[in-house]
Amino acid sequence: MNLIAPIILAPLAAAAVILLLRRASTVFALAGVVASLLSSAGLLMAVMHGSSYQVIMPGLPGMPLLLLAGRLTAVLAVVVAGIGALVFVYAIGYMKEDAEKVRFFALLSFFVAAMQTLVLAGDWLLFLSAWELIGFSSYLLIGFWFQRPGVGASASRAFLYTRTADLGLYVAVFLLVAQHADTAIATTLAGNNPTTVLAGLLLLIAAMGKSAQTPLHDWLQRAMVGPTPVSALLHSATLVAAGAILMIRVVPVLPPEARLAVGLVGGVTTVVTGLIALAEADLKRMLAASTSSQYGLMLVAVGAGVPLAALLHLIAHAAIKSSLFLGAGVFQHSREDTAFTNLRGVGRDHAWVFSGFVVAALALAGIPPLSGFFSKDAVIGAALAAEHAYLLAPLALAGTLLTGAYMARALRILWRGDTHAGHVVGLRWMGAGIAGVVLLAAVLGATFGALEEWLGAALPTTILAQVSGLSAALIGLALGWLVPAPRLFGPLYRWAQQGFTIAGGIDALIVRPVLFIARLCARFELSLYTGVLAIGRLGMTIARAARCGDEQGIDRAIFALAHGSRRLGARVAALQDGLVHHELALAVIGTALMLAALLAGVLYF
Amino acid sequence: MFPLVTITLFLPLVGAVLVLLSRSAPARVAHTIALITSALTLGGALWMWSRGVQAGGFSQLEHFTWMPSIGAAYRVGVDGISLPLVLLTALLFLLTFIYSTKLKQRAHAFVVLALLLETASIGVFTALDAILFYVFFELSLVSMYFMIAGWGHEDRRRAALMFFLYTLLGSLPLLLAILGLYLGSTPHTFDMRTWIAHPPLAGTAAMLAMIAMLITFAVKTPVFPLHTWLPAAHVQAPAAGSVLLAGVMLKFGTYGLIRFALQMTPVAFHDAAVVVLIFGVFSAIYGAFAALGQTDLKRLIAYTSINHMGYIIAAVAIASLALNPRLRALALDGAVLQMISHGLVTGALFFLVGMLQDRTDTRELGKLGGLLRVVPVLGWSFVIAAFASLGLPGLAHFPAEFQIFLATLRVEPGAVVMIIGIVITAGLYLKAIGQAFLGETPAQWRGLRDLRTSELLTIGPLLILTVLVGIAPAWLLNVIHLTTMALQP
Repeated sequence: MNLIAPIILAPLAAAAVILLLRRASTVFALAGVVASLLSSAGLLMAVMHGSSYQVIMPGLPGMPLLLLAGRLTAVLAVVVAGIGALVFVYAIGYMKEDAEKVRFFALLSFFVAAMQTLVLAGDWLLFLSAWELIGFSSYLLIGFWFQRPGVGASASRAFLYTRTADLGLYVAVFLLVAQHADTAIATTLAGNNPTTVLAGLLLLIAAMGKSAQTPLHDWLQRAMVGPTPVSALLHSATLVAAGAILMIRVVPVLPPEARLAVGLVGGVTTVVTGLIALAEADLKRMLAASTSSQYGLMLVAVGAGVPLAALLHLIAHAAIKSSLFLGAGVFQHSREDTAFTNLRGVGRDHAWVFSGFVVAALALAGIPPLSGFFSKDAVIGAALAAEHAYLLAPLALAGTLLTGAYMARALRILWRGDTHAGHVVGLRWMGAGIAGVVLLAAVLGATFGALEEWLGAALPTTILAQVSGLSAALIGLALGWLVPAPRLFGPLYRWAQQGFTIAGGIDALIVRPVLFIARLCARFELSLYTGVLAIGRLGMTIARAARCGDEQGIDRAIFALAHGSRRLGARVAALQDGLVHHELALAVIGTALMLAALLAGVLYF
Repeated sequence: MFPLVTITLFLPLVGAVLVLLSRSAPARVAHTIALITSALTLGGALWMWSRGVQAGGFSQLEHFTWMPSIGAAYRVGVDGISLPLVLLTALLFLLTFIYSTKLKQRAHAFVVLALLLETASIGVFTALDAILFYVFFELSLVSMYFMIAGWGHEDRRRAALMFFLYTLLGSLPLLLAILGLYLGSTPHTFDMRTWIAHPPLAGTAAMLAMIAMLITFAVKTPVFPLHTWLPAAHVQAPAAGSVLLAGVMLKFGTYGLIRFALQMTPVAFHDAAVVVLIFGVFSAIYGAFAALGQTDLKRLIAYTSINHMGYIIAAVAIASLALNPRLRALALDGAVLQMISHGLVTGALFFLVGMLQDRTDTRELGKLGGLLRVVPVLGWSFVIAAFASLGLPGLAHFPAEFQIFLATLRVEPGAVVMIIGIVITAGLYLKAIGQAFLGETPAQWRGLRDLRTSELLTIGPLLILTVLVGIAPAWLLNVIHLTTMALQP
């Protein structure tokens, strides 16, 4: 039996069944994602024993659709389904009192199906389709509470940012397909045939959009208006992960220049969004900025040429970030808010949830023996061993330090302050989900050695990497706990809170000019329309004038002509008087005139 | 052989005659006749589909002597380019009649005009004789003129006249070109198959004929700057008229571009293809921007048609420029599929706007809001159709546009800038959805009724087909591909 199909079809079928039956949505959704998890686990086992699976489906003429299970993709499928299943468990509690559970769980299931398609896609056409479909489903999920003010705008922004960046993927795919005359990803990435720098940079742009890298990071923070389980899923193993997954898959054929660009984009992002996270006044928005920052670290690893380090950090981060978001969701339900000012002391109200939050926070900072320590260590090791280590390593270390700082600051705020617990509905399901992801966040590091060996790539870890990484994390934690954020930033605090917007940001630089051109076109259209109407009116006026002319001028002329002809006729009658020589003379003259006219015509042309 | 094409072609005309005969019967009778005849016509089209086409050339040919002295005859038949269009036409007309069953005002006249238009439209796609083609081409104009003038909105007279004059003046050059092709062929004939197999004109004459055809089809498609009639006509036309105009009649332009300009004057078209390409690309981008600037929902959708049709023009130009037959087939596959997708998706969108206007009496985006909560079925249908229109994978436009863009990049990489159109259309549809459907519901719109059964029956098939074409376009593309692969360079 082919194990690939159910990984995608189970959640897809769940979505369809939920929409059709409109009841027991949680049961079907959970069944779908668990089935996906089981079959991806089975797939991983099978791939471990050396089998390979593929499904070929009809696509466009000469471009079949391909699903392919390799080592990397099988691992990713397990991660997606595993995190997905735990988030679903949590969501059962979180959405307990929402009236639109049907729509929620159908969308969430569809979303997982789309993500699994992306992970398992073996050709560019399917990859691009899945890439866009996860964008679409996250639009619907971010905009889930669409009646609330501002939600629609945030959802639109998320879709538009990523779609604009997707143009990079479109054109890069066209370039790759044109170069190799084949749409299979393996073919286009095969052998020592590096793609052009242009294609590499275009792929980078697409990844920047999806993974919310600077300067395209701002949509992710605004996407926080969606339900918390959605955020947990978007930020860990799905939407945002797509960018990093793309980069991990194509890195072998990226030319060195493009690779350096990837590393630099990641490095700059990890610092910039790390600073934004440190200055943020809202827990969920802080976590969102932190996501950009961590994906920046993954791109640093890709830029350093060690995609395995990026993969490990992606897996560890998936578990950690979903733990953090799920914890934040409990705090949100408890205090009906996510602003830090209203969350003071909430940690004491929910000590169990908070302890899970602490474990995840320490894991993200990179404290041993939690999973983040190993993955971050791998990233820093990769940066230190890279060709451009002098650029990448400082950025990676700065990102690590900032991670410690903003997590410590958040922990302090959540812990210090008054306790006044609000009642949280569905805490049991939520707690179960949280326990699962926190456990993963803590212990996943133990599997990394085996994974490394199995994927057949070595990590350039050194003592230097471990020492510098750990000290950066500890310094960061200390700074964040001891020094208040405004003092850390000094005069830059306000700017950091505004997300380091330069000259009004993307809105002022791109959106407004585009809208301006659109308005210009619309106005031009209006004048064109009035112009055509004016011509029409002119035509009518001429016609009316012509009618007057007809009645008064031409009609009279015609009558006059008729009158004249009659008189002429009388005179002609006089000419034709029966005298032969007269008529002959007239015929000769007439013929001469005609000949002359013909001759003139011939000579002229 | 059983004259299936002819029967399918003239069934609606028979229906129109029947309605004329039962003029004194209630409106219900007229609607019933229309439903039955258009359903039978769709049945005929499906039968034609099941017969299929052969690779290269035309199939299902039917021929009757008409005016032997001048080489004109009744010749009809289909190939992989026209057969999908016939199917689309038959489907859209049936859905239009389902949607229009609620129409009470001068129902007989409306039904007669629409049935007449159906015969004309199928005629345009099946005619293989230039005179026959021209007759159907002009006939469609008359029925659409009366449909806009008789059942349109506030400013219908002016819009109808503008539409009529524009397209009438536009079709005169085609007549000249047809005469030119006729005089160039030896022996003189109006047989389009002969003209395609052995292009009768060469040199300057071919170029002039090609330019004349380009003007005609550029007005019909429409291409910037000959498009000004389209928004006016669309906004003023009744919903059914808009659907037929966008879904069926705009395709006359692109179909003619392939059938006449590309196939009958291939060398001249190749020489001018870069210019055509520039017009197509500019139209696509300009249409998207102009749509983004609109505040009237119907006008907005009308402008996206200019964008989508621009891609088709560009694709035909790319097909002419491509030297590799596989690339030419790729571009033309995309162009023909895009015609079908546009018919399905824009048809759905215009129906939905009509349904919205029936309920709210407005098309102004600023006045609408929060409707997804009140009329969820209408709202979600609009969301799906809008995302199809902006080219979301899994929905109808994506496979077509993917092929067009891929062929463009491989033949004329610079022209791929038209891809920014997909971002602009994304922006304008998200804006429209946000303004009309999301957010809080203003008090005046609470209590609106969601879609009725007849409306569901209208919109359902279009959305199902939109998904079907998006997920598995093979059933359409295989037919199209048979012809585009065998097309002569």
